[in-house]
Amino acid sequence: MNKKVLVVDDDPDVRSFVVTVLEENQYTPLVAHDGIEGLEMIEKSAPDLIILDVLMPRGSGIRLYHHLKTDDVLKHIPVIMFTGIALKSFLKSQKALDEFKGGEIPRPEIYLEKPVEPEELVRAIQKKIG
Amino acid sequence: MSANKILIVDDEEIIVRLLSMSLKSDGYETVTAFNGEQGLEVFKSESPDIVVTDIKMPGMDGLELLKRIKEINIETEVIIVTGHGDIDSTITALQFGASDFINKPVRDEALAIALERAKAKIHIRERLEEYTKNLEIKIAEATREIRRKSNFQRLLIHSSNDAIVAFDQDWKIVVYNPAAASIFGEKPSNVRNKMTIQDLYTPNIAGIFMAEAKKKTEPGDMPWKEMVLQTTDGRKIPVQYATNVLRENNEFMGIVNFFQDLTEIKRLEKELVQSERLAAVGQTVSGLAHYVKNILIGLKGGSYVVDVGMKKNNTEKLKAGWETIKKNISRVSDLTQDLLTYSKEREPEFEPCSPNEIVEDVMDLVSDFAAANDIKILKQTDPGVGEMILDPQTIHRALLNLVNNAMDACMEDEDTSKTFEILIKTSMDTENFMCFEIRDNGCGMDEETQKRLFNPMFSTKGGKGTGLGLLVTKKLVEEHKGTIEIKTHLGQGTSFVVRLPYQKAGTVDIKEDES
Repeated sequence: MNKKVLVVDDDPDVRSFVVTVLEENQYTPLVAHDGIEGLEMIEKSAPDLIILDVLMPRGSGIRLYHHLKTDDVLKHIPVIMFTGIALKSFLKSQKALDEFKGGEIPRPEIYLEKPVEPEELVRAIQKKIG
Repeated sequence: MSANKILIVDDEEIIVRLLSMSLKSDGYETVTAFNGEQGLEVFKSESPDIVVTDIKMPGMDGLELLKRIKEINIETEVIIVTGHGDIDSTITALQFGASDFINKPVRDEALAIALERAKAKIHIRERLEEYTKNLEIKIAEATREIRRKSNFQRLLIHSSNDAIVAFDQDWKIVVYNPAAASIFGEKPSNVRNKMTIQDLYTPNIAGIFMAEAKKKTEPGDMPWKEMVLQTTDGRKIPVQYATNVLRENNEFMGIVNFFQDLTEIKRLEKELVQSERLAAVGQTVSGLAHYVKNILIGLKGGSYVVDVGMKKNNTEKLKAGWETIKKNISRVSDLTQDLLTYSKEREPEFEPCSPNEIVEDVMDLVSDFAAANDIKILKQTDPGVGEMILDPQTIHRALLNLVNNAMDACMEDEDTSKTFEILIKTSMDTENFMCFEIRDNGCGMDEETQKRLFNPMFSTKGGKGTGLGLLVTKKLVEEHKGTIEIKTHLGQGTSFVVRLPYQKAGTVDIKEDES
């Protein structure tokens, strides 16, 4: 059975792109429009990998990432950050959130800055879940 | 006093000698003659102050001599010596201008009195002369001083950088300096004392000042105001002006206007605003690059999806990819337009149109998107607004921007239990303004966001916003001389109110002169 990959992104263009890439490479795409819906989908469908946007309305990617990495069950799901903002800005925000909530969460395993070529995205997915 | 030389004329030598001796002993200088002709000669050569002459003489008699002397110098005092009872000659002599007469035989006392009287007359005349002369000098001095002062004031008015135009009580132009000439373009010689207020000013402006004169304002009560002045040859000049009503003893004397040409200042102001705007655009190129990058992401993604669609012959994919590409192309065109609008100076293209119809158009445009995102768009339009003078395209854009923002605010809201609503309202307010209100019950803004709302390239929408939308909206509204206000509560929603000066369609634009 194909592996399930969840795309959490508010931009329909990005969703359609990533979904097409996933379909083309024999993954089963799942989609969520924002962080809140994303968490629901994760709990409901247990995806094998999450492709997560950072800047989204209603529960940003940073918050969702933080939530996942501090949840004992969910923290093992690999996450690819897939975003338009630079890694430096992301780490700054993550650090601020760490300090605010206490504790320290690991850096994202894979951080892709848009625009991303389909092959690059596929390589990143394969690296994590084959 | 020098009335000391006396000419004595008599045909009787002895009388002449006696009188001469007597007068010399009284301290006079005397010259003598023994007939009329000789008397005249001596008079011419010696210029005596007083002449004492016998009336009856052979040859030229005393009357003739009197006449001739008076012809030479009318101011000479001539005392006539007459025979007893010779009334007729005496009267004639007085008519010819004799100053006095004494009877023969000449008594010293009588002569002394007559001489004293003559001397007094000369003295008075001399003093009068002196006084007159002094007066003339004083008048000349005073005139010079007045001329100097008036020249000073004339030069003052002449050299003033401010245009000065003054009218007398009949509204005739009496002062019109070179600075005024350079504003109004009429030569001073054609204006001063020739034109009236209606000849120089357009009826609107003349009306303002004439009304000003009727008011009982004290001088200095009228502050500087700005207006666009239209000259008789049709040029429009931005000026700052002040008016003083001139009164003397509460009587209206005229009006004086001071104008300052603001063309250069306005140009510099415009340039400054323009360069600030360009600088703002420049400073935020990185923000812009970010936005462009997002468009590129969309285009790349879209073309990948189209490629896949073509390869697999999948119409669904083709459609989705093509939609993405089209959407991003329109984002590029919107961005370009926003940048152009923001960085360029432009005048609105006014025409009669219906604000309520603009609202309808905007609602039509966003209805699909709103429905897809569970946002209700409501309208509440005031039919009393009717048709007015606007630039419909820019107002359409401004409204669309605000409605798009309102929809974003709804979609940003984390409280999904709300039923999201956007209300678009039109109304008239009391001060002759037409209002648009766009109210949403979305996420609202915190104070920090509110403060930076109109900063260039400030966006809360990450790479999805250019940070130009509200800025462009504000500029469009201000081009209409309107205002934009915001009320917002975090978590409760936001209301934008756009107020535009209301000018009913079909009325003539007189705002220009008054503003």
